[in-house]
Amino acid sequence: MQPDSRFSTAAPAIALDKVELSLGSGAARVHILKGISLNIGQGEAVGLVGPSGSGKSSLLMVLAGLEQADGGSVVVAGQQLAGLDEDSLARFRGRHVGIVFQAFHLIPTMTALENVAVPLELAGRADAFERARAELAQVGLGHRLDHYPSQLSGGEQQRVAVARALAPEPAILVADEPTGNLDESTGQQIMELIFAAQARRGATLVIVTHDLALARRCDRTVRLRSGQIEESALIGGDAA
Amino acid sequence: MSVTTSDDAPAAARAPETGRGGFSLSLALRFALRELRGGLRGFGVFLACLALGVAAIAGVGSFSRALTDGLERQGTTLLGGDAAFTLVQRPATPEEMQLFTAAGRVSIIATLRAMARTGEGAGLNSTLAEVKAVDGAYPLTGTLTLDPPAPPAQALAETDGRFGAVLDPVLAERLGLKIGDDLQLGAARLRVTGLISNEPDLLATGLGFGPRLMVSLAALNASELIQPGSLARWHYRVQLNDPGSLSTFLDEVKAKAPQAGFEVRTRDAAAPRLEDNVRRFTQYLTLVGLTALLVGGVGVANAVKSHLDAKRGVIATFKSLGAPGRMIFAIYVLEVVLIALIGLLIGLIAGTALPFALDAAFGHLLPIAIESSVQPAALALAFGYGILIALAFALWPLGLAHDVPVSALFREWDDNGPRRPRKIYIALTALAILALCALAVAASEERRIAIYYLLASAGVLITLRLVATGIMAIARRLPRPRSTGARLALANIHRPAALTPTVVLSLGLGLTLLVTLSLIDRSLTRELTARLPDQAPSFFFLDIQSTDTQQFSDFLAKEASGGKIEVVPMLRGRLINLGDRPVEQITPPPEFAWVLSSDRGVTYSAELPEGSTLAEGRWWPAGYSGKPLVSLEKEIADAFGLRVGDSVTVNVLGRPITAEIANLRKVEWERLAINFVMVFSPNTFRGAPHTSLATLAFPQGVDEATERGISRAVARSYPGITAVRVKEALAEIGALVANLLLAIRGASLVTLVASVLVLAGALAAGQHHRVYDAVILKTLGATRPRLLLAYVLEYAALGLATALVAVLAGTVAAYAVVVGVMKIGFAFSLPAALGAVGVALLLTVAFGLIGTWWALGQKPARILRSL
Repeated sequence: MQPDSRFSTAAPAIALDKVELSLGSGAARVHILKGISLNIGQGEAVGLVGPSGSGKSSLLMVLAGLEQADGGSVVVAGQQLAGLDEDSLARFRGRHVGIVFQAFHLIPTMTALENVAVPLELAGRADAFERARAELAQVGLGHRLDHYPSQLSGGEQQRVAVARALAPEPAILVADEPTGNLDESTGQQIMELIFAAQARRGATLVIVTHDLALARRCDRTVRLRSGQIEESALIGGDAA
Repeated sequence: MSVTTSDDAPAAARAPETGRGGFSLSLALRFALRELRGGLRGFGVFLACLALGVAAIAGVGSFSRALTDGLERQGTTLLGGDAAFTLVQRPATPEEMQLFTAAGRVSIIATLRAMARTGEGAGLNSTLAEVKAVDGAYPLTGTLTLDPPAPPAQALAETDGRFGAVLDPVLAERLGLKIGDDLQLGAARLRVTGLISNEPDLLATGLGFGPRLMVSLAALNASELIQPGSLARWHYRVQLNDPGSLSTFLDEVKAKAPQAGFEVRTRDAAAPRLEDNVRRFTQYLTLVGLTALLVGGVGVANAVKSHLDAKRGVIATFKSLGAPGRMIFAIYVLEVVLIALIGLLIGLIAGTALPFALDAAFGHLLPIAIESSVQPAALALAFGYGILIALAFALWPLGLAHDVPVSALFREWDDNGPRRPRKIYIALTALAILALCALAVAASEERRIAIYYLLASAGVLITLRLVATGIMAIARRLPRPRSTGARLALANIHRPAALTPTVVLSLGLGLTLLVTLSLIDRSLTRELTARLPDQAPSFFFLDIQSTDTQQFSDFLAKEASGGKIEVVPMLRGRLINLGDRPVEQITPPPEFAWVLSSDRGVTYSAELPEGSTLAEGRWWPAGYSGKPLVSLEKEIADAFGLRVGDSVTVNVLGRPITAEIANLRKVEWERLAINFVMVFSPNTFRGAPHTSLATLAFPQGVDEATERGISRAVARSYPGITAVRVKEALAEIGALVANLLLAIRGASLVTLVASVLVLAGALAAGQHHRVYDAVILKTLGATRPRLLLAYVLEYAALGLATALVAVLAGTVAAYAVVVGVMKIGFAFSLPAALGAVGVALLLTVAFGLIGTWWALGQKPARILRSL
């Protein structure tokens, strides 16, 4: 499966080839991803859709380096992920991938500013707090820097999470149901932020969502069913 | 497309990096401090366990140091001078006196055991007293406080043909005496002029079996108790003109009176045996405190595990943002260490305060003024134990945090995480345990005891863990009961995350210690009282003059019909050389130090004494008249590496006597018959003045009234002979031992409190599971009584199983101590065992139900909404 020609002028940002993933052990072992091949071009926005249990989140985890595939090849930002150990994967994520979760996953004991600074501090950036402050200002939270997650609304927490994902300027941004825990209007604001940031920075974006309207805002949608790609469709283009 | 196969892919253009691959200790510390903003919730038991154990160890150590510091700083007062020289059975010669008087002021004191008497005829009353006769210079240092107040010389002076005497109030009470009453000591008539409130040199003179009776040397002379060979000790206290010349002075005495056989003490070690005992006792109490910390360690592990379980999401978030596993480990190990430091600080403050508090509350009861102060060494030891226990129990669960999968963010429960940490963390845990063992051994007075303790603790911990696994395995395989309550109880015992291991470990350790101490107590008490052998004597009679021996035997035979009388000659002697080695150059094994530390009773005999069997060598022939021979007790000979054919030198009556070891004997000490470590061939002491020692036994038994009658008859007819009633003496020893055991058992309560804390913490941590179960079951129609029954059954089964293991392990440990170390008979105590079972049931059921009770009373809808 090839990326859209609009994004294929350079090497793909994400190249998956015959990716396999099973979870659990013994009788409880479940075959989740069954030979997934997918290329995503640099700067492309892709929406992963499909019914519950189809393997969307698992595919997202594999391409974000959160889960190791059992088989096949996973090349992300020019890096072959197969064979990397947990710590190498952590460093890889810190450098190349920004992640936005449905449940925000902010660290409750840290302020908004500190939460955003964490990946920069982990990367050893001397300007971690300046950058974090700028990112929070970008998402409209310049006045809530010293608030703890429990003092923020759901929408504000997700903005902090978006700022945290964007702060290290990752080449790849992944989001797992980023609006799933938010009301419709707040969800829309968050998506505006994500798409604007992606466009501004030229990052590759992969979003898992049940929301077809949201998926349609991407350059391409990839539909999964039972661990396989059922359909890959360019928005306003051909179905693959 | 360019693909790299390592993680050195070019990063996006960015500001200069300062870290190394996402890990730096200062960054980990920063994150740990931020994490701590969440407060110490969930660490209550962790803090309490560490604080309690550390406070116990720091408190015991600080108090002991305050006591020994007091002994050291008040050495001159306690000793009654800068140096004290003691001789047995003879006073110093004029030449020896000359050595003392040339160096400074001298005070002469004689001590002996004797009978103090009052009344005449049928009204005669007598009791054993520790007599102390002093000269006019006494006390050289410190103050003898009397009631009513009077200078010693005045109180002890002779007026109207009666010598003044001052008494321990206990002696006055035993003989019904008050100020102005008369009493008799040997041939001397005394009048009570005061009661002793404080005797400054009591600790240096030593505590005896009887209460103190203090008289002047003139009164002692008049008593006629000092006869050739009498068992009196002569003490010469010297207050130096130049206190700085102590070592020169000691060297001079040694050089000019090499054969004197002095037992020498100096102000630097005024009461060395007391100091030794304080140190030994401190070690036992420290080990009890360490047990409390070990129990607390289970609480530490539980708290850390619960904390990390709660932080799974945060850990996974850190990892998703690029934190490697070792950064996660560093963050949480630092967090745990910081929290541990708070617990340790609380413990150290409480431990430091303990001696001050004890001094304020009970200082007036102590024989010396203690010097309470901050004791850095004791605090450092307690800190060392505390931090190592925290690390030993926390490193394993902390190591598991390294590999918490990031997928924990997407799946509520991910069981793909490892059950055992990486090798490095296992090695670190092992290192912490090794350091803990090394510290326990290095810091102990008796390393052998520390090693036994560590082995026993490891054995008990491993056994309890195996037992917990066993209980769960059995519960899993048991047929399912038909009753829902019983089925639920059984399932709760073996389900994943069951409370079984925690309850068995924490409560089991505390209970095992309690059972061990109870059974040691029971065995000791029985040894000292109930288990007196039939052939044990009722009386020991001391100071029987050789000229009176036959007459006294006849007298006893008449007064105590049916009694068995044994009479042996008795001298006192100090060992000077073992083989060619002077005893000063020998470091004895701790349990045999007493052999060399002071003078010992020696005797001679033509035949092998009763109660002894020949182990090696041959007994000397009748009428033997060759070079002096000696028979040694085998265990002691083995301890010092002495063999048949070696020689020993003993100073008796100021004369060194060298004898060849002719044989080794095994002695049945527990029979309490007369027996000696050293028995010489009769020709060794031919012509030497000495007294005899007699025993009177009643193989058919005897009542108290008869014993008292014999006491009175002896006091009347032989006022110079000292009668010691064995039952009274054993009762005195029993009371002392009971007090020591009470102190140890009191300290062991700290361990039980730690057990309770851990238990309560574990039950509280598992509480939300219980509430969930209870509410779901109620929703499905379970009634409260049925649920209550299920929980009672579960907690009772756990408590019972734990108690049974504790009784078994405690019995084995007590048996090892009683039979292996104390070498006395073992006695099992059913009340102690039942007590342990009762405590276990009470604690598990009560603590278990406290939380569940609340859930049982709630309406399901309300709880379901909040779940």
